[in-house]
Amino acid sequence: MRRAIALAVALVLLPASAAFAAELDELLDESREASYTAEQAITCSTPDGARNAVIELSQASGELHVGAPVAPDVEVASGFGGWTLVREGAVVSSANVEGAGEEPEPRYTVDEGTAIEYLGRAATMYRMTGDGVVRAELVFDVEAGALLRVVTFNADGSVFCERRFVTFDPGTPPDVDAEPAPSVPAEGGVESNLPETLGNFERLDVYEDEEGFIFAYYSDGFFSFAVFQTPATVAAGSGSPVTIGERAYVRSFGAGNVTYAWETRSGGMALVGDLPPDMHEDVLSGLPAPEDPGLFRKLWRNLFGQSGSPRPL
Amino acid sequence: MSHAGELISAYLDGELAKAEIDQLQTHLSTCGKCAAELQEMQVVRSAVRSLPLLELPAGLIPEADAEVVPLRRNKGFWVGAAAAAVAVVIAIAAIVTPSTPSVALEELNSRYGARASLDPAFGPAKMVVPDLGDILE
Repeated sequence: MRRAIALAVALVLLPASAAFAAELDELLDESREASYTAEQAITCSTPDGARNAVIELSQASGELHVGAPVAPDVEVASGFGGWTLVREGAVVSSANVEGAGEEPEPRYTVDEGTAIEYLGRAATMYRMTGDGVVRAELVFDVEAGALLRVVTFNADGSVFCERRFVTFDPGTPPDVDAEPAPSVPAEGGVESNLPETLGNFERLDVYEDEEGFIFAYYSDGFFSFAVFQTPATVAAGSGSPVTIGERAYVRSFGAGNVTYAWETRSGGMALVGDLPPDMHEDVLSGLPAPEDPGLFRKLWRNLFGQSGSPRPL
Repeated sequence: MSHAGELISAYLDGELAKAEIDQLQTHLSTCGKCAAELQEMQVVRSAVRSLPLLELPAGLIPEADAEVVPLRRNKGFWVGAAAAAVAVVIAIAAIVTPSTPSVALEELNSRYGARASLDPAFGPAKMVVPDLGDILE
């Protein structure tokens, strides 16, 4: 009886946010376990214009494969720390990581959910809130647990990105066993002077490969980004110059992610993530500022390399 | 095609057959790393070609002396000029040719994607999609 009373008291005293946060984790965990094939439409409204894509997804055993019906020669496999991009049957890039660090403190809460119908199926829609701002709407399939639709919002309530299934077929997809691809191993647990927090994001772990390429992974419990330090320069592709907080970067938005690239005296830096634009300035202001390395440093770096890892910040 | 380094060099030398040129150009349109390498090699070549031609100093190659019309300037001047030219070539090459290649966006995506797939929130909400252009009308 005493135990039952103690349990009841504990449940009453437990902060509501902690209870909800646990529920969000459970929902996302269940979604990762779901098996299905689906077509997903991604529409993002970015400061640089609309970024859209339609992709085919198949998920089984926690591994997610992407193919694009309008670009049939492109395929991506991702899951359990691996990511591989294949174009025209050849591996374009691939990476494996290990040793993920601690999970971030729960920052977001979800409401109790609203029953809705989505794609003719019973579903539940949850609103995810952080610091009193609704940051996402998540729609989960009741039967399969899969995440059918997610809308992310800017701080002013405008939509940043919507990812929604336009077709959904639960059950094990027919051919998810792709050949294991060559990978770029990365070693976890690396010492780094990159900030432990950036805005509301916590640094969870740091990786380094044999070429002195360092990256740190940050998360706020839902959104995330990686910060890269490299002795080489970063080719920002089709990015465009932009000024954020009086600092000059090259920025490139994709369907659901953003990249910033810049140069410092110790080498190239980049940020890749899925965070909404209103969070960018806070995060970038905590990182080394763009700097012209100068003629002498360019000469030295190109003649003799970076002598190992990038200089500590 | 994983990396087209040798093909790029042969391409700039005009040594490729048409089929190989087509294959390389297809690859360059999708591979930022190789496209950047092509651009860097073009810059270096044009920089080297723009350097002035210098005549050999007398006595530098004894066998050739018989063919060389003696010059009035002294030996020290030519040795200095040759050393300066070599230094200029090294400096230009060092500035325009990174000792380590530039990192393509796809490589950053692959590392971010690999780590994001360990994230509790990973799934259709966080899948890192390669840049497929604006393809939804």
